[in-house]
Amino acid sequence: MADAATHSHDGHAKKGFFTRWFMSTNHKDIGILYLFTAGAVGFISVLFTVYMRLELMEPGVQYMCLEGARFIADSAAECTPNGHLWNVMITYHGVLMMFFVVIPALFGGFGNYFMPLHIGAPDMAFPRMNNLSFWMYVAGTSLGVASLLAPGGNGQSGSGVGWVLYPPLSTTEAGISMDLAIFAVHLSGASSILGAINMITTFLNMRTPGMTLFKVPLFAWSIFITAWLILLSLPVLAGGITMLLTDRNFGTTFFDPAGGGDPILYQHILWFFGHPEVYMIILPGFGIISHVIATFSRKPVFGYLPMVWALVAIGVLGFVVWAHHMYTVGMSLSQQSYFMLATMVIAVPTGVKIFSWIATMWKGSVSFETPMLFAIGFLFLFTVGGVTGVVLSQPGLDRAYHDTYYVVAHFHYVMSLGAAFAIFAGMYFWIGKMSGRQYPEWAGKLHFWAFFIGTNLTFFPQHFLGRQGMPRRYIEYPEAYAYWNYLSSWGAFLSFASFVFFIGIVFYTLRFGKRITEDNYWNEYADTLEWTLPTPPPEHTFEILAKQEEWDKLHNH
Amino acid sequence: MPYERQINTNEASGISGASCVAHGAGLPFYQLTLWPYRSLPRRGFVWFIGITATLICIPLLALLGTRYLWFMLPFLAAAVAAIWYFLERSYKDGDILETLRIWSDHIELTRQNPRSKSQHWSANPYWVSVHLHPNSGPVENYLTLRGGEREVEIGAFLTPKERQTLMAEIQSALAQIPK
Repeated sequence: MADAATHSHDGHAKKGFFTRWFMSTNHKDIGILYLFTAGAVGFISVLFTVYMRLELMEPGVQYMCLEGARFIADSAAECTPNGHLWNVMITYHGVLMMFFVVIPALFGGFGNYFMPLHIGAPDMAFPRMNNLSFWMYVAGTSLGVASLLAPGGNGQSGSGVGWVLYPPLSTTEAGISMDLAIFAVHLSGASSILGAINMITTFLNMRTPGMTLFKVPLFAWSIFITAWLILLSLPVLAGGITMLLTDRNFGTTFFDPAGGGDPILYQHILWFFGHPEVYMIILPGFGIISHVIATFSRKPVFGYLPMVWALVAIGVLGFVVWAHHMYTVGMSLSQQSYFMLATMVIAVPTGVKIFSWIATMWKGSVSFETPMLFAIGFLFLFTVGGVTGVVLSQPGLDRAYHDTYYVVAHFHYVMSLGAAFAIFAGMYFWIGKMSGRQYPEWAGKLHFWAFFIGTNLTFFPQHFLGRQGMPRRYIEYPEAYAYWNYLSSWGAFLSFASFVFFIGIVFYTLRFGKRITEDNYWNEYADTLEWTLPTPPPEHTFEILAKQEEWDKLHNH
Repeated sequence: MPYERQINTNEASGISGASCVAHGAGLPFYQLTLWPYRSLPRRGFVWFIGITATLICIPLLALLGTRYLWFMLPFLAAAVAAIWYFLERSYKDGDILETLRIWSDHIELTRQNPRSKSQHWSANPYWVSVHLHPNSGPVENYLTLRGGEREVEIGAFLTPKERQTLMAEIQSALAQIPK
């Protein structure tokens, strides 16, 4: 037994900037690091989209010229279309968003900060491994950016193979850019797996006494399911892209038919990871939305147990539907039927969640603070994306829509409008708790409306473009598609403006926001453990085990 | 409250029984073991690893009988091995066992630590007193034992309420020591 240590507590000296942020093992600090880094990478990735929408605003090519990329159209100067630059833009937008923005923000950022708080754990199970995960993510991001600038195919820099890295495109792309991209995904994957192991161990073994599995708040549950999905699917991706790497560099022929390989197999491997990946992106969002809706409806969340089981069901079903991304590769009729039916079944647990959220609001005392606006926006737009998903799940229809803008609209509705709305809902919900200062409400509302109108204006017309038959991944298009593309581009500019405004809100809040003194600045239906802590929380939390009456509100059941 | 108590009244009341001999010979009159709470029971660990290993094998079905299987297998096995190792490690981190044993003329506290040597403390129970420090300790309701050469803590990993119960428990045990 340790010698008694009365009166000798709080011996911590104040940490310097470098020690606090670079050598941090504190889950709250690491969560904030994740949020800021993901925000910065997100900004880069969004810049690409603005450039792409600029190019797509008018038929023909005005900006991405072989003579040099331009930002101001100049009809006098000659412009030869630079398809490589276009391909690079779509590739890095995808890679960055999928691996380095949304998962780090939701899972790494909010997950790190709030999951241990929700379960009353003093920190993550392995704090130093948590630090390692974060820095591996930063290293992966750097490799990704390096890959963008390194010599690639067509004698230019960067790789233009699409975020899915399909062979033979990815195995024949020249230069070292592609190899760097593979390393970037490797590192981010390793970082995510370590992070996931940490989260799983924390969730399973460090819950506060009395908090049985079905008393855990929904956000912590969603992080656990996400972590489990990462653990199960990222090793598969790691194996797949390692085969790509050996195909590229060591002359193996895993995916080269000339040597007996099978390029379609890569697609199976990729989507076996890729489909769970989209659930990793959205599930933490589900968790956040549950808490936000319950708080601002002033009612406990409706149907806690079905909500948990729906999370589990979505996670499990996510593993058995991957081939609906590749109906056109030539599968047998029964394979297609199976994947269609399995995919449609996912609508059931998702519906349970959507209706439970609506039932939570039903007869609640709803108020429309910014987080709630984003949550309702999420609910509406995610459902739209889900419905087009059911349309696309049918192989017959998918043949018509495959690789058209209809698909682009679909997955941006679930991810850009679903996950991004969840991120913003979480930011406004918790920024006061994290920083001790509150955002200006009018600014949050302005951001919401600009973002809501902007993103819908961007992506809703893309359904029409898809139905007209406009294919994805092209730098230009015939005159016939001009009208909706023009509108879509204006939507993208408005969304971008709102994002820049949001960055302004964050920095304004951190510096000049109104100080918060209460522990719980929303209302008593924000009833998870972080709301029992001072605002902002002290460096060390729940080293003293939380009391059951602080978190067990009974009305959950 | 994660503890186990054992009271051997019969043994200890024997006048010349070995149980009353000093320095821990014979059965103690009172024995208490304490350990920190871990929320994952061993059974849960088995379920978790089982489900993980099953689900992670799904992609292998498609690769059966091909060379890809041997390429993919190490990655998947490594993932299962990693989560196994880290869950075990997390158990190990909480592998603290405090044992308090009381004889009529001897009291002994042993603490087994996860990765360092175990620590010992002993005293004569006649001089031992239990102290609760509601706010002045590193944790709420910090509990210490005084009476040996140094003051020691007990049950610092329990909840504040549990330590309160524990104090009453130890005090009553000390009061009931057969003379």
